Amino acid sequence: MTTNGTNGTALIAVNGLTKRYGDVVALNGVSFEITDGITGILGENGAGKSTAIKILLGLLQPTSGSAMILGQNASETVAARARVGYMPEHDCLPSQPSAAEFLTHMAQVSGLPPSSARTRAADTLRHVGLFEERYRAIGGYSTGMKQRVKLGQALVHDPALVFLDEPTAGLDPAGREDMLALIRKTHREFGISVLFSSHLMADIERTCDRIIVLQGGRLVQSGEVRQFTKEMETVFIEVDDNRDALVAALARRGVQVAVEHTGLTIEGPDESVYDHVRDALVEAEAPLRRMAPRRRALTELFAP
Amino acid sequence: MTSTGTVFDIGYQRYTDAREGRGRSRQAIFKDGVRIALGLGRGGRAKVLPWFFIVVLSVLGLGFALVAGAANRLGGPGTAEKVNLPSHSDYYGIASIILFVFGAVMAPELLCRDKRDGTINLYLVRPVTGGDYIAARWAALVAVMSVVAWLPQVLLFLGLSAGDPTPIVYLQQHWIDVPRFLLAGAAMALYVTTLSMLTASFTSRRAYASVFLVGLFVITTPFTVGLAEEIGGKAGQWISMFNLTNIPVHVNDVIFGDVSDITEDAPARKLGSAILVSWYFVWTLVPGAVLWWRYRRLG
Repeated sequence: MTTNGTNGTALIAVNGLTKRYGDVVALNGVSFEITDGITGILGENGAGKSTAIKILLGLLQPTSGSAMILGQNASETVAARARVGYMPEHDCLPSQPSAAEFLTHMAQVSGLPPSSARTRAADTLRHVGLFEERYRAIGGYSTGMKQRVKLGQALVHDPALVFLDEPTAGLDPAGREDMLALIRKTHREFGISVLFSSHLMADIERTCDRIIVLQGGRLVQSGEVRQFTKEMETVFIEVDDNRDALVAALARRGVQVAVEHTGLTIEGPDESVYDHVRDALVEAEAPLRRMAPRRRALTELFAP
Repeated sequence: MTSTGTVFDIGYQRYTDAREGRGRSRQAIFKDGVRIALGLGRGGRAKVLPWFFIVVLSVLGLGFALVAGAANRLGGPGTAEKVNLPSHSDYYGIASIILFVFGAVMAPELLCRDKRDGTINLYLVRPVTGGDYIAARWAALVAVMSVVAWLPQVLLFLGLSAGDPTPIVYLQQHWIDVPRFLLAGAAMALYVTTLSMLTASFTSRRAYASVFLVGLFVITTPFTVGLAEEIGGKAGQWISMFNLTNIPVHVNDVIFGDVSDITEDAPARKLGSAILVSWYFVWTLVPGAVLWWRYRRLG
């Protein structure tokens, strides 16, 4: 599996990236690095996700700062794009050709010889679940099928890195689940690194290894998804009686608790806290009704 | 008994074979442009317009050949020339408006769909620049337009040869028409393609581009002819130069050393061959440069 870009550098390295449209600042001095894996860019609409992706793809020039992709300057390189895939958020598919013809063409535009392009188009359409429908005109496809064609064209030339801009947009729950599974499979089975932009935290949380959070064009957070969710692990305890005595017993053992309407919550517990809870329950003679670990969603983590 | 078999590992895999770079990318966009222009690999509706034009132009060439052949058969060798029946030098003048309409319909087909569908963004994130993209699309339409312009002339040449009582003598005497009509056809294709593509580059709606182009070619003719006659003199000759339909036909006249029916009365003809050819290059190179610049800045 590829772990890094060429010459041992990160797949993507962004440093002080700024993009202005007149008075509007779309990106404001953003810096981050991305290595192998599935990385999510999370942010509300207008946070600068698509702008960052377009700069990395060379579609936009930054106002200042630098963006390196596969070890090369994103705004200058053309050759590196042969190893990059892009699935745009908006419509990008022609209606007349079939999916097989379109993917074959796009593989050739990425530099593959015609015979390889035909084979890879068929294989890629099998991968995204459109093999049986591959000779139908794209104009007759459903939204979910079009999303799969968009993913297919981004993968057909075997990129080292693929940018997915809101890949679940417009999909129903089942289609969304399939798309997320496909993205995970694309990385885990074939080692293709993914930069996945979304405003849906649930999608990012379930799919990505790492996360970059943008807000108003600024970098708010970045790191491992597991790290964020681990930090937010809690244990919820509910007792039938003697709740105040239990709180006091826990406090004597150095365990900080938050009292909620129906029970107690212990933030970020380690393994030893369960022993302290057991002892405190005995000491306070509090009948335990419920005790359950709970992981807060990223939604709660970044909620204002 | 032994048997051998092959195991095919189907499904998505990593690609380890050759990647052929920008040359392959440009070639793919060129080939796709040719297929779009001719409606190949698309439904029946996409084929109707291009093949209608090709048939009409070919029938025109065959018609010339049949009439000339009949005249030569009935009146003896050389009769068609003596009575000044239309031939190779007249063809592009007569067919020019059909070629203009063909270009006006096809150029938007090649450019506007990519913009309207958003497919242009998929090209520009691959190993091609905006300049590569537009050069490949332009070359595709030039190639199709050239073939469409040459085909009737080839049919006309074959028809005139076959219709002549002495085909070998005809070929010996008229072989020079072949490079002439190839050159004149290429000049027509370059001009029509470049202007049509520049216009199409300003909109994502095919109908707007086509209607504007047809209007441009059709309206400038009566406007410039009337104004040139009214003003007269040197100024009238220069106004006549802005008759967009005549610009490549003047070049055709220079190449054949003859005057077409549609340029016979054009005051611009009096300015001389050098100015007429230079004017053609101005109207081809400047729009070409603007077109390239517009796409170059895309990525």
